Amino acid sequence: MALLQIAEPGQSPQPHQRRLAVGIDLGTTNSLVAAVRSGLSEPLADTAGALILPSAVRYHADRVEVGEAAKLAAPGDPLNTVLSVKRLMGRGLADVKQLGEQLPYRFVDGESHMPFIETVQGPKSPVEVSADILKELRHRAEAVLGGELVGAVITVPAYFDDAQRQATKDAARLAGLSVLRLLNEPTAAAVAYGLDQQAEGLVAIYDLGGGTFDISILRLTAGVFEVLATGGDSALGGDDFDHAIAGWIVEQAGLSADLDPGAQRTLLSEACAAKEALTTDTSVEVSHGAWSGLLTREAFAELIEPMVARSLKACRRAVRDAGIEIEEVEAVVLVGGSTRVPRVRQAVAELFAREPLSDIDPDQVVAIGAAIQADTLAGNKRGDGEELLLLDVIPLSLGLETMGGLMEKVIPRNTTIPVARAQEFTTYKDGQTAMMIHVLQGERELISDCRSLARFELRGIPPMVAGSAKIRVTFQVDADGLLSVAARELASGVEASVQVKPSYGLTDGEIARMLQDSFQHASDDKVARVLREQQVDAQRLLEAVEAALEVDGERLLEADERLAIEAQIQQLRELMASNDGLAIEQQTKRLTQVTDAFAARRLDATVKSALAGRSLNEIEE
Amino acid sequence: MGSPCHFALFELQPSFRLDLEQLAVRYRELARQVHPDRFADASERDQRLALEQSASLNEAYRVLKNAPQRARYLLALSGPELPLEVTVQDPGFLMQQMHWREELEDLQGSANVSGVATFKRRLKVAQDELNESFAVCWDDPLRREEAERLMRRMQFLDKLSHEVRQLEERLDD
Repeated sequence: MALLQIAEPGQSPQPHQRRLAVGIDLGTTNSLVAAVRSGLSEPLADTAGALILPSAVRYHADRVEVGEAAKLAAPGDPLNTVLSVKRLMGRGLADVKQLGEQLPYRFVDGESHMPFIETVQGPKSPVEVSADILKELRHRAEAVLGGELVGAVITVPAYFDDAQRQATKDAARLAGLSVLRLLNEPTAAAVAYGLDQQAEGLVAIYDLGGGTFDISILRLTAGVFEVLATGGDSALGGDDFDHAIAGWIVEQAGLSADLDPGAQRTLLSEACAAKEALTTDTSVEVSHGAWSGLLTREAFAELIEPMVARSLKACRRAVRDAGIEIEEVEAVVLVGGSTRVPRVRQAVAELFAREPLSDIDPDQVVAIGAAIQADTLAGNKRGDGEELLLLDVIPLSLGLETMGGLMEKVIPRNTTIPVARAQEFTTYKDGQTAMMIHVLQGERELISDCRSLARFELRGIPPMVAGSAKIRVTFQVDADGLLSVAARELASGVEASVQVKPSYGLTDGEIARMLQDSFQHASDDKVARVLREQQVDAQRLLEAVEAALEVDGERLLEADERLAIEAQIQQLRELMASNDGLAIEQQTKRLTQVTDAFAARRLDATVKSALAGRSLNEIEE
Repeated sequence: MGSPCHFALFELQPSFRLDLEQLAVRYRELARQVHPDRFADASERDQRLALEQSASLNEAYRVLKNAPQRARYLLALSGPELPLEVTVQDPGFLMQQMHWREELEDLQGSANVSGVATFKRRLKVAQDELNESFAVCWDDPLRREEAERLMRRMQFLDKLSHEVRQLEERLDD
């Protein structure tokens, strides 16, 4: 498998049995898990036959309850029952206070800036709460599919920033899931539709969920899903419709807006019920305590009009960003439970001047698409026809703080990922030996209007006259949309780099503690599994390096280089027999490092021989 | 380290005239081969290589499909490094620039949406003409200086169309 499988990427040397992989839609209100079985992608049901798992987690002193029962208990036990936790992912306490008046929790400060929720089980971070939902789905999938999962594709709103994505990945890690890919929700929906209907051309995906709104414009060509632009609002969704109705009730009934947590929950459930009733009925009788009144569909449409307008504005912007005219959009797909609201459907139909599609259940379509992608990534070939390929973009510009508190964009929004881009900066004081690198995400000029992702320092710059040091900062965004940043002073070669750990993420200490907790509570012996995985990795690498040495060692390596590689191989062989997972891991890394240059040379040689005989330009860069 | 130029990645000869449809087809073929999704199962190193190769491919595609960037890249390939910002010695064009900008400001002042649409169409025509002039000029190695001047004009119009987009956004508020 391992070293330089250039010729046939993705193809395993031996046929193997089907590998179990799932797609998970981790939603604000509801979550689902789906898998491809007998060529068909479908959501998996729990033992009672329910497909949808409400994203509700209730903490008891000695156990955790997830789903419908927890949701129903929310009004009675508001402090220990967490709903819509997705809205808190990757957010700081200050952000949460903006939503604050509506959330009936007691927040406490953690080691990091995350808003921890005080429960009978102690403080819980949003990441832990999400992990509890993911665990429930993982257990369901393993029970239905009858085996251990090799991994999962987990969907995130396209408009999630780096902090929110990282938080989602951390949650999966806590839940013991290997993340094959973080996939944008509208892209997942496009996959479900595109493959189903063999669609080609320009498609808009309008995705209004419980707490987030996304719009994506894609070009579909022979199994390639190319996102041209994406936009949205990571704090706009059906929950806001509920809050609007709740506000209306408070006003109509002449209540004080200062309700206790239990009453707030009750009010919101009543509001939600009214909203759902208005999908089929033109008016609904609403009662709260002694008060009752009539809410018409028109009055409801008026209440939510500002939010609908916000979503339409984001659509127009995405169309402009895609560099197309709105008339060119050939199909509009509705995703997310909130697109059942008649006013929303009508507004979308008017904007795009065509009837939107909702043939695939808007609640299920994201999980269905994610499962198809998971199946492909796990190496299970789709039968005939072209294999699908998703080309996604970053939703928000990435940049750095420069003089005067301004944001300098390094990668603009809607750039196709993966992407790597470098920008050069210089010192502004004579003899300056350190530089603070402040990484930001957002569209605004002032850094105070952008999200701060990370800060790190490049030290050891040789003292020079102001303006003569050359500091190259490289941004790299991987296929999950996650950023890493490296800085290097070009004259001295001084380097600093970070895997961007969002300012509002968990600290490594917190993750280590949570992982430890989950190890202790897990029944299966994870440590042994980790050791086994490391042994397998090491074995793969050894085989690959030895095969590569056999073929190209003579041709591409100097004698001393070869000796150095062989010494590391010997050491790894010796460690393999031990039970020291950490030592094996480290030695595997060392062997990888020492063979890096060799791998690069082999790649060059392969590319050259592939292109041999054609006239090509090579330039020095 | 030598790395293949953007054109070579697509197995093309450096040239300004480019069939964008064909470029897109080729891009999708290449992306299929190097995208990290094809290596989800591979070693960490292969995944990293896929990430790097995909990133270079995306960068090459981004530059080649955009006319002003393609022009700039061609000039950089064949000559000394070009500074990003220079004082343009192009009085005729400077005058025209001022007219464009004044018009745009008026459109903003009057919040004239259909006026913006007309402006966009005219801008597009001007861009197409400029692209054609550059293409002709680029074929003649003796006219490099003129090619550089035309490239600057292309960059300006590109910036202007970006401003039109921002204006549309403001008018949408």
